[in-house]
Amino acid sequence: MTNEQAVADIINLSEGDSSLANEIRELGGEELLECIQCAKCAAACPLALAGFSFFNKRVIQAVLMGLRDALLDDSSIWACQSCNRCTEICPREVNPFEIIQAMRRVAIREFALPTLSIEGLKSLYDTGHAVYLAGAGNTRNKVGLPEKPPSTVANPEALKELQAILRKTALAELGIIPMEEPGV
Amino acid sequence: MKVGFFVGCNTAFNRPDLEQAVRYAFPALGIELDNLEGQSCCPSWGTMPSVDVVGWCVVGARNHTIAEEKGLDIVTVCGSCYGSLAESKYKMDTHPEIKEQVNNILKDFGREYKGTSNVRLTFYYLYHELGPDKIKEAIKYKLDGLKVALQPGCHTLWPSKVYYDKEEDPFHPRVLKEMCEALGATVGHYTRLIDCCGMGAMRSTDMEKSLKLVERKLLSMKSEVNPDLIVTGCSSCLIQLDTAQEFLRNSKKINFEIPVLHYMQVLALCLGADPEKVTGLAKTNVKPIIERIVG
Amino acid sequence: MPRIGVYICHCGENIAGAVNVEEVRKYAEQLPGVVLARNYLFMCSDPGQELIKQDIRNGLIDRVVVAACTPRTHEPIFRKAVEDGGLNKYLLEMANIRDQDSWPHWQDKEGATEKAKKLVASAVAKAAYLEPLEDRFVEVTRASLVVGGGVSGMFAALDLANMGYKVYLVEKNPSVGGNMAKLDKTFPTNDCSACILTPIMVQVGTHPNIELLTYSEVESVEGSVGNFKVKVRKKQTYIDWDKCTGCGDCVNACPAKVPNEFNEGMNNRKAIYIEFPQAVPKRAVVDIEHCLNCAKRVMGTQPRIHSKTGEPILAPCEKACKTGACDRSRAYNPEGELIELNVGTIIIATGYKVMDKEPFKEYSPQSPNVITAMQLERILSATGPTDGQLKRPSDGEKPKTIAFISCVGSRDKRFHTYCSKVCCMYMLKEARLIKEKYPNINIYIFFIDVRTGGKDFEEYYNYCRNLGIRMLRGRVGAVDELPGDRLRVRAFDVDLGAPVELEADLVVLATAIEPAPALEELGRKMGITCGSEGFLKELHTKLYPVETSVKGIYIAGCAQGPKDIPESVSQARAASSAAAVPLTLGKVIVEPLISEVNQRKCSGCGTCVQLCPYSAISLVEDKGKLHSKIDEALCAGCGICAAACPSGVITLHGFTNTQIFAQIKALAS
Repeated sequence: MTNEQAVADIINLSEGDSSLANEIRELGGEELLECIQCAKCAAACPLALAGFSFFNKRVIQAVLMGLRDALLDDSSIWACQSCNRCTEICPREVNPFEIIQAMRRVAIREFALPTLSIEGLKSLYDTGHAVYLAGAGNTRNKVGLPEKPPSTVANPEALKELQAILRKTALAELGIIPMEEPGV
Repeated sequence: MKVGFFVGCNTAFNRPDLEQAVRYAFPALGIELDNLEGQSCCPSWGTMPSVDVVGWCVVGARNHTIAEEKGLDIVTVCGSCYGSLAESKYKMDTHPEIKEQVNNILKDFGREYKGTSNVRLTFYYLYHELGPDKIKEAIKYKLDGLKVALQPGCHTLWPSKVYYDKEEDPFHPRVLKEMCEALGATVGHYTRLIDCCGMGAMRSTDMEKSLKLVERKLLSMKSEVNPDLIVTGCSSCLIQLDTAQEFLRNSKKINFEIPVLHYMQVLALCLGADPEKVTGLAKTNVKPIIERIVG
Repeated sequence: MPRIGVYICHCGENIAGAVNVEEVRKYAEQLPGVVLARNYLFMCSDPGQELIKQDIRNGLIDRVVVAACTPRTHEPIFRKAVEDGGLNKYLLEMANIRDQDSWPHWQDKEGATEKAKKLVASAVAKAAYLEPLEDRFVEVTRASLVVGGGVSGMFAALDLANMGYKVYLVEKNPSVGGNMAKLDKTFPTNDCSACILTPIMVQVGTHPNIELLTYSEVESVEGSVGNFKVKVRKKQTYIDWDKCTGCGDCVNACPAKVPNEFNEGMNNRKAIYIEFPQAVPKRAVVDIEHCLNCAKRVMGTQPRIHSKTGEPILAPCEKACKTGACDRSRAYNPEGELIELNVGTIIIATGYKVMDKEPFKEYSPQSPNVITAMQLERILSATGPTDGQLKRPSDGEKPKTIAFISCVGSRDKRFHTYCSKVCCMYMLKEARLIKEKYPNINIYIFFIDVRTGGKDFEEYYNYCRNLGIRMLRGRVGAVDELPGDRLRVRAFDVDLGAPVELEADLVVLATAIEPAPALEELGRKMGITCGSEGFLKELHTKLYPVETSVKGIYIAGCAQGPKDIPESVSQARAASSAAAVPLTLGKVIVEPLISEVNQRKCSGCGTCVQLCPYSAISLVEDKGKLHSKIDEALCAGCGICAAACPSGVITLHGFTNTQIFAQIKALAS
């Protein structure tokens, strides 16, 4: 996946996937069709400001035109900071951030997610933390804290509960990470 | 006064000195911290929020219920945790169907999300529950003469509708400024104040592009404020601003270093905390600043 | 010796910003005949007018010069002030030191001040020779003519008729209804066009005060407000409309095939035809150009007699006619009938025409599946060529993908630079009608800007987007014909920043709204000019939007510029109300600024008779000697006759030779 190449040479609208818009709306991007492409969101979007090829406004237009492959082939959406400035300023209440999230949800269903996200999910499942540094215990001790924070990492029962909860979510159906019950 | 402390990942494992700062400052101000035993990831944006709305909310809800059972609000020091938790709460509170699906899962574990605990960010919590004047009274050391540039952080501001503690005008935030002024700092304004620092998913996806944002931000700070210290309101911003400067210096994008601390670290110092414990992991050279503060 | 008062207006900063008003005042004070000169911030304000009135009442002055803005808007105000002061109102002269001085010379303050002095001097010079004149009044013919039987014309006619005035409604087609009758549904409420229009057509057709003159055209207009003489040609229908019942039997019998204008050429009508099912009046006409003259029944000839039966051999149409309305033996005048109407006011509501697709070669107009939006309108209509079934022209298949292209011929220097204003909304409407009926059809609208300014329009647009109609910003650059009657639409998606291609089964061009054919010629007949875009010019865009430069002639609807139905109707009703004013007053003031012939000195050469654009001058014989005579009611005071008279015996009151020469002398000194 890249985020460098703007868009493929000529976009063939006839190959556009008309189901994409509905899928996005079902996966949290309810207000998709309210967008009139004014680009206000893009004016303040870190993705646009940093030079990513797809950012809120452009993701939305690509979704509206059904350009599933173009979106899946590009990693821009995974760089979204979730800063929500777009949500704050959108005059159409589209919630552009949520459209990007919904596009991530589409991508995940097609297993088009970056390794980093898989690692994050695996870490979440295995430890209860998306970011977990095994060697952090020393640093924690150094500043006078116990080796483990009072979270799932210090509390096996809580971790088991979290894992059981995660097994009841869509994550389990998608099969992105191994989610066997421990000890089974 | 008692509040549940939601530690999160980056603070616990990357910057436990910041965790320690919170654990020092709150009790020093007479606020007891509950550990919210068994808490997990908020969950962070790239994980469950990117998988499914209910999956996101249910992990969030589990954390919420730990606080709800104790009748406590949740306080975080990390903007991402703050955003994710507040937004999952907002979703469940405004969409009964999401809440119902979440509770359908939770009921097997003897939990029920009710929506009774508020999600707070450390400095907003202190601002609203104590107020700048009480803080002024409580501190041992003052930042007299210290010129400060702020980094409030996106997640502390937007989307304003999901937050319990609101800025009057999120595009011209005042709370962090007032809180720093209460410590005796001179807060300078720069025009890229509310711009994103580039931390987070962008940094993990494309470091170079992420650095572009922080570079723009630092140059604006330097030329418009020339601060002695950068104070952040968010742990992610802290990490980005603290670590990115070296990269930018190495690639000759900037030729300066500005020390960076989170507001809670500065507050802990002013309250008399052991500097090594509450700022010991900073990459930028904060020693001269600490010397100026504690003398 | 006249005593002239000069009043110089600052017009706020409009004049004083460029002209040194005090300097001009001092200059005016010492001009011959001037007894006082004043300046004031706004002369047209009450206190400004009061200055003039007081000076007259105090006996200080007997001539008034106002140096201010344009007499076009302000002369009536100052004439009134002069009259209220107690002087004859024609003892006023205006110097336009704003439009003709301060505005154009804004950068040159010194020059502007000098020019103001000249203009004031010239007005003062003329004022010395002003003479009192008396207004005349002309009786008004209490009837009105409305040209054009579309929705605008019909509403204008109905309003006037309901006020009690006689209205002649002239329509060039056999039926009233206009373009609106062709539409399927109307935005923003999606009412069925025929459903809301037919009752109006019926009212127009049955109103006792309306004389409907369809299949007729205006040939000439003479006279002026209050008394227009209009010649109208009733085109030959070749059917006795008194007998015709509109049953359609003749139409069914006719074998000729002619492209059907009402269906935008997408199917055929007969040579004898009724324009459309809801036509008012519902009468047949014979399109003589395309009539096949079956059975050699040329109009006006007697039928041959069958050798065996002895019966006359008739054409199918007359054979089918049960009422005798269709009688080819009658000697019809191919020129029809010329009638003359006397009316007090006229409303022009001749509507518009949509551009056809042919000029747009880049969009492959040769393909039958490239159609105009008006053609799609007919396809969608239950009375259209497909009985309302959505079928593409090439093979009658239902299209799976439809592309709309906006701004075809609008905002286009090659055709029309203006925005046609209604296209965005009608594209959305057509797209919506299709999408609501067939949700699986893919619809793309390629636009430059979506312009949906209008009550409830933006909501309509949002609704359409929510239906899943795809909006794409980017003017289409090419339409290529592909095998299988398909079309490739090529554009650049501005929002994605990439070239795009779309394969479509049907391409709909939102072609521009144009002035109705021969609008300019009609305007010329009435003395009204068209703007550069070809629509009739209103007197003032903001303040007099339904008036024209000719008093007593008003405009409504798309004759004035592109507009939608709500706007057309509003303007029509505004025009009817304006046109009713002179009818209600019963008389109109005719300014005495007209020409007069010194009949004793007139040589009767007739030069002026030829030149008069208003046909106001005729040669009369008096005691065996010819001389010209000017009809005061018709004279518009243009002055052509006075300038041309070789004997110099014609005087244009208000602009006499003495006055004009005095002005020129003052300007030249």
